[in-house]
Amino acid sequence: MAFDLTVNGTLHTVDADPQTPLLWVIRDHVGLTGTKFSCGIGQCGACTLHVDGRAIRSCSVPASMAIGKPVATIEGVSPDGTHPIQIAWKEFDTPQCGYCQSGMIMSALALLRQRPAPSDADIDAQVTNACRCSTYHRVRQAIHLAADLMKARA
Amino acid sequence: MDVNRREFLATVAAAQGAFVLGFWMPQKADAQTVPGAVWYEDPATPEINAWIVIAPDDIVTIRIAQTELGQGVWTSNAMMVCEELQCDWTKVRPQYASANRDAREKAPAWTLNVMGRGATDPTGGGEPGFGNRDRRGVSGIPDSLYRRMRTNAASSVKDGRYYLQLAGAEARERLLLAAAQLWNVPVAGLTAKNSVITHASSGRTTTYGQIARRAAETPHPHPESITIKPPDQWTLMGTEQKNLDVPLKVTGKTMYAIDVRVPGMKWAAVKACPVYGGDVRRYDFEAIRALPGVRSAVQFPIPDPALCRGRVFSGGVAVIADTWYQARKALDRMPIEWDIPPELAGVTTAGMHQELVAALDRPGNVRVNQGDVEAGFAHAARIVEATYSTPYLARARMEPGNATVLVTSDRVDIWIGDQSPQETRFSAAKITGIPEENVHLHMCHLGGGFGRNGNGPQAEQAIMIANANRGVPIHMLWTREEDFVGTTYRAMGVARLKAGLDADGWPIALDVRTSMQEGGFGPDASFDIISRYHVPSYRYSFHTTKFHVPVGTRRGVGQAAHEFYRESFIDELARAAGKDPYLYRRELLVRGNLPYKSDMIKALDLAAEMSGWGTPLPKGKARAIGLEERGAEGNGMATISAMVHTVSLSPEGKLRLERVDVAHDTGFGLVNPLSVKKQIEGQITWFYNDAMHQATTIRDGHVVENNFNTFPLSRINEDPPEINIRFFATGHWLIGMGHDRATSVQSAIGDAIFQITGNRFRDLPYGRHDLSWR
Repeated sequence: MAFDLTVNGTLHTVDADPQTPLLWVIRDHVGLTGTKFSCGIGQCGACTLHVDGRAIRSCSVPASMAIGKPVATIEGVSPDGTHPIQIAWKEFDTPQCGYCQSGMIMSALALLRQRPAPSDADIDAQVTNACRCSTYHRVRQAIHLAADLMKARA
Repeated sequence: MDVNRREFLATVAAAQGAFVLGFWMPQKADAQTVPGAVWYEDPATPEINAWIVIAPDDIVTIRIAQTELGQGVWTSNAMMVCEELQCDWTKVRPQYASANRDAREKAPAWTLNVMGRGATDPTGGGEPGFGNRDRRGVSGIPDSLYRRMRTNAASSVKDGRYYLQLAGAEARERLLLAAAQLWNVPVAGLTAKNSVITHASSGRTTTYGQIARRAAETPHPHPESITIKPPDQWTLMGTEQKNLDVPLKVTGKTMYAIDVRVPGMKWAAVKACPVYGGDVRRYDFEAIRALPGVRSAVQFPIPDPALCRGRVFSGGVAVIADTWYQARKALDRMPIEWDIPPELAGVTTAGMHQELVAALDRPGNVRVNQGDVEAGFAHAARIVEATYSTPYLARARMEPGNATVLVTSDRVDIWIGDQSPQETRFSAAKITGIPEENVHLHMCHLGGGFGRNGNGPQAEQAIMIANANRGVPIHMLWTREEDFVGTTYRAMGVARLKAGLDADGWPIALDVRTSMQEGGFGPDASFDIISRYHVPSYRYSFHTTKFHVPVGTRRGVGQAAHEFYRESFIDELARAAGKDPYLYRRELLVRGNLPYKSDMIKALDLAAEMSGWGTPLPKGKARAIGLEERGAEGNGMATISAMVHTVSLSPEGKLRLERVDVAHDTGFGLVNPLSVKKQIEGQITWFYNDAMHQATTIRDGHVVENNFNTFPLSRINEDPPEINIRFFATGHWLIGMGHDRATSVQSAIGDAIFQITGNRFRDLPYGRHDLSWR
C-alpha cells in the first residue's frame, strides 16, 4: 500500500506496509541509510530520528505514525557537516566507529532545541543512546560546544 | 539469474572511484560533492608503489591494509606513510588495500626485512607480530603483498609502522629521482616537503602530482638502502590529528556493510540453532511462501570449524526476501525444529562455574614454579586466599553481523566489515570452490569490532547462503538476537590466588591457579608467567575444562580477566598487611627485577600524584589504584600504564566512577596521541560496563542475554565526569592501545566498594550485589 512521507522536507511516496517500522521505510524505501539498525527493540537509540521535532526510536514505531508529520534524519541536519552540532562533533573528534553517532546527534539535537543550554543532568536524562566505543566523554563536551555555537548563530 | 552479470560487473568497474570505502555508491557525482570525502581513486593514475597513488591534482591515496573500526587506523597508518613521503597531509585520502590483490602478489623485497635491533632500538622497526606463514591469515601472511591484514591485538600500528614508513620513503625517493632526471641535476640537490620538490640552487620546483607519472616509471636502484625516521625526527607522527573519517560520520554518509546496496540484491534473515553444535531438524517454508516479498529459504550446515579457528557454531536457515524486514517477519513465522545435542540441552552457567572451580583442585598445567611455594606457606606469618570469577562476555558491537555476497561461476564478491579479510578470502574459496585469486572483498568500515570479526561465522554464513543462490547478490543481516548467537564469547574464568605473607605483610609465596575452558583466550588462562610483584616463591598453573560455548578474542582478551585477578589480590594483600595499596605495589615492583620495572614505578607514581593520592575524601568516596601492563616480563615491546579511580557510592548502593587519573607510557612515541586518548577514554567505560553490569549466562545450552535489555550497555550518565591523561616516555616501542587499557577499573571498583562498605566482592559484575551501606 502506498503512502506519503515527508523526510527532510522532501515528499516521498512509499510502497510498503504502513506497519513496517519507520526505520526500515527510511532505510529501504526512502533510501536514507544514515539512520542505523542495531537492537530493534528501542533500547540503544542507533535508529533515532525526529518526527514532528521529537526524537523517536524509529525501529519500534510503525511508519504510519509519521504520515502527515515532518520526519528529519541525520541527512537533513546539514548535507555538508556545517550545522553547529556537526562542527562541535568534529571539533572534539567525537566518533570512533561512528555507527551510533547519527542517532546520538539526533538525540542531542532534540535536547538542544528543547533546552538551548542543557546542564550535564539534562544530557544524562535525555541523551540515553548507547555507544559501545564509549565516546560519551567527547559527546558531552560536543553538546556543550554545540549549545554555544547554536546560541552564537541564533 | 536476477542480475545481468555483465552489466553488473561493468557497473562495478565504472564505479571504481566510488569503491574506495569498499561500498557501492550508485551516484559517484553526488558523492564527489561531499566536502572532505575520504575517498579518491582514479584507475588511470599509476601507483608509485602498492601503498601510494598520487594524482595530478596532488591528492595522495594511501592504501590501508587494516580495518577502521573506530580505533583510528585509517588516520594513524596514513600518518606513517605521509611522514616519510613528505606530502601535504590535507591532501591524503585513505583507501582499503585490496585483499584480492594480496592473494595475487608478493610483498616487495625491500619491505621484508625489519631494520634495527628490535623493541628497544628507536631507529628500527620494532618487533612486528607476524607469525609463520599461515594460509588462513591467522597470524598474517608475512610475504603476501599486504602481510598481516588482520586487525586485532592492538597491532595495526606496531606491525605496520616500519613498512608503511618504508613505503612512504621509497615513494619519496622515487619522486626525487624522477625530478632529478627531468631537470638533469644530482638528486642530492633536491628537497621534498609538503608535496613540493625544490631544486635549491636553481629555485626550480615541481609538485608531486606533476612528477608522479614519471616517478611511477622510475624504479629505485637500491630500495634496500632506504631507511626510516626515528621518533626524534617525526614531524607529523606524534602530533594530534583528527581522524580522517570523522566528517562522514557526523553526516550519516559513512557506508557500513549494512548500508551496501547492489543491483538486484535480495535480503536474507537468519536463524541459527541457539545451542552451539545444534542444527536444523526441519523447517516449513510452505508456511511462509506466500508472505509478501518472500523468495526462498536456504538451510546451511554448521560452518566448517576449520574455517572458524576450530570453533563449532550452529547450523541454521535463512529466508530470502525483497527487503530485510519482510525476510525477518517471515522467518519469525516459519516453523523451525532444532536438532539439539542432548548432552548440551541442560547446560547452565551455574554448572559450568562449578566445573571450573572443581578443576582448580585437579592437577593443572604448571606454567611456572619458582622457589618453594609450599615451604613459603609453611613459614608464612599469615595466609591470604581468594577466589575470583569472571563471566562469559559478549562483545555486542553496535552493527549487527552482516555481509553482502555475490557468487558467480568463477568469482566471489563480498561487501563486508571484517577484521580479517585474508581469513574471509580463504573461507570463500573453501566454501565455493572458487580460487582465492578470484575472491574480491570490498571492505567497509565496521560499526564496532572489539574482536568480533575474524572469529566467524558471519562471513561463512553469508557465503554459504549466497553460494546456494549463485548469480544473486544476497545481503545477509542478523537481528540483534542473532548477533548474540553468531559470536564467540570471552571465556568464563575462575582464579584462586593464595599468598603467604611474612610478619611485615610482604608476600613470600604466591600460588596462582586459573581455570578456564579450553581455547579460552590467553594463552589458555593468561596469567603472568613471571610475577609482576616480587615474591620469592611463585607457582602458576592453569586448569582447563571443555565447554561447548565458542570462545575467542574479545577486547582485552585474557589480559582483562587476569589483571582483575592480580590487581584485586594485591589490593587484598595490601589491606591484610595494613599497608597503602599504592606504596605496597610500588615496593613490590622495587624489590623485583623486571626489565621495565622503572617504567611501571613511574606509571604508579605519576597516577598517584595526579589523583591527589592520600588526600582525604568524604565518606562514601574512595580511591583505588591499578597497574596495567603488557609485555613487562621481557625486554621486548610493552605497554605500561597505571590508573587511579575515584569512586563514589551512595548509602543506597548507587555507584559512580567519578574520576580517572591515567599515567600512560608512550614508548618511543605515539603515532596519533589524540586517537590514543580516545582509546583510553573508551576503554574506561568499556571495563566499567564489564565490572558493573555485563554477564552472559547459559541456560538449556543457549545464551540467555541476547539484546541490550538483558545485556546492558553503559550510557553517558555512567561516563566518568573527569578523566585526566598524562603520558610519559619510555625506551621501547609500544605493543598497542586498542584493547587492554583501563582493565584496572575492575579491581579498583572492587577495592573502593570494600573501602566504603567493608564488603569484598570477588565475582563480576558488581552490579549483581547489594552495594548499599549504612
